[in-house]
Amino acid sequence: MSKIQTEFTEAEQKVREILKQVPDPEVNVNIVDLGLVYRIKVDEEAKKIEVDTTLSTPGCPVGDTIIQHIENILKATYPDYDVKVNLVWDPQWDPSMITEEGRIALNQ
Amino acid sequence: MQAGLSTQNAPSVWVVAPHFLFGTLGFLIASVLAVLNYNDFLGYHLTPEVIAITHLMILGWLSMVIFGALYQLIPVVMEVKIFSEKLAHVTLGMLITGVSLLVTGFFKFEFISERIIDVGGTFVITAIVLFSINTLKSAAKSKVKSISKKYIIVSGLYLVLNVLFGLFIILNMTFNWVKVPHNQLLRGHLVVGLVGWFLMLIIGVAAKLMPMFLIVHKLKEKYLETAFYLLNIGILGIFTLVWFPKYPTVLFDIFLLLILTGLILFFLFNWDVYKHRMRKKLDSGMKPTAIAFIMFLLSMISFTVMYFFGDYVGAKPGQLEIVSGFLLIYGFFTGIILGQTYKTLPFIIWLFHYQKLVGKQKTPLPAELYNDTFITIHTWTFILSVVFFVAGILLSSKYSVLAGSILILLTSITYAYNSTKMIFHKKMIKQ
Repeated sequence: MSKIQTEFTEAEQKVREILKQVPDPEVNVNIVDLGLVYRIKVDEEAKKIEVDTTLSTPGCPVGDTIIQHIENILKATYPDYDVKVNLVWDPQWDPSMITEEGRIALNQ
Repeated sequence: MQAGLSTQNAPSVWVVAPHFLFGTLGFLIASVLAVLNYNDFLGYHLTPEVIAITHLMILGWLSMVIFGALYQLIPVVMEVKIFSEKLAHVTLGMLITGVSLLVTGFFKFEFISERIIDVGGTFVITAIVLFSINTLKSAAKSKVKSISKKYIIVSGLYLVLNVLFGLFIILNMTFNWVKVPHNQLLRGHLVVGLVGWFLMLIIGVAAKLMPMFLIVHKLKEKYLETAFYLLNIGILGIFTLVWFPKYPTVLFDIFLLLILTGLILFFLFNWDVYKHRMRKKLDSGMKPTAIAFIMFLLSMISFTVMYFFGDYVGAKPGQLEIVSGFLLIYGFFTGIILGQTYKTLPFIIWLFHYQKLVGKQKTPLPAELYNDTFITIHTWTFILSVVFFVAGILLSSKYSVLAGSILILLTSITYAYNSTKMIFHKKMIKQ
């Protein structure tokens, strides 16, 4: 099974939309369209949200600010939920993971 | 919070920002001095004023900013904290003191003893050695294996070698241990300093940052791997030759060609990155950087003409040397700092003010910490300053050199506006 999620439940899709408010401060494009969010798991019964995300490079100067932003925005939207953000490096991110919207936004 | 991220490795803003502040001041003073002494550039020889301005540009502006930027970039390239922030503060204090004394000394004010140059020089040398220790100790902690790291380590070693070599040249003038012309030793000093330290460092940093900023994968790293060997053989070859009273000129030419080939490979690496970039539209920081690379190409052409075809172009002695040196030191080194400042400084300032607020309050982006119009202005004044200055030197026109110097001053003023705007940024929360 691919480590990059391609199908989402309604609840996961909602989280995905919220994460579109988190920009990479360097390029000012959201992390979902940059292809940095690999997996979203929402367990509504256990009230848990888990996000697997990566960075464009391990040395990314604003890396943990992005992770902090994800945590803060999800905790603010889902105050009753336990939010967990995992930083993953497999598969390694590459520009082909940028969505069409992301490509357009990059050159605006 | 996850371990190993570079925000946690990032140095304090108090380490990086003062380097940019004093570097900006150095650039401003150097450009004021250039306007006041513009006539000296047409003499085609080293007057105390030209020596003072050159040292202020190289040590007080370029090295100052490069030290600060590297403290910020070591965590990005090597994924470790810098070895010691305290050492970085001591180094900065020594560099500021040393450069101030050295430059004042070169102007030979009557009320100051000439000894001031010796004292200033000692401070500068100590600062450089301390900086190299900090860089090399940081590299020793890093487990990253990359071409960038290799270049940065070697540049640190060349920096120490060059300082010691410079010291030896000064002592040799008094004690005459090695009986070779000092100009010959100085040639080695220039090659180790400009290529071994500045260019090797820029190649190392650019190898990581250019693909990162322009979003490119699948890099032609073999260009840089090959260049690494060519450059080192060339630099060490020339460094060895200059110790001999007589050496075959053809050997010197071969080593020089190896260096030029290495630099062309570096240029081709960046050209490939540029061609395959996903960010087609260059942002505020990358536009001046692209201009700087054009200046780099021009400096290599100028240097090649000067060295291999100088006799055929009918230039006055020293004319092409000034043009080549100006295109490299001002055109490329200053040009790249004018651009890359906007890819480094706003981030460390932004992290300092807003890191804890992201996702809780609406914060500005790093790009909102500076004024874009001023970047456009200093990019144009920079281009025009090069055109007028180089034309002035080649045509022996003092008005053109004066216009070039005034444009350099305008560049430094507009750059200073933006760098101080970032450094003294006050927290703002968007509604």
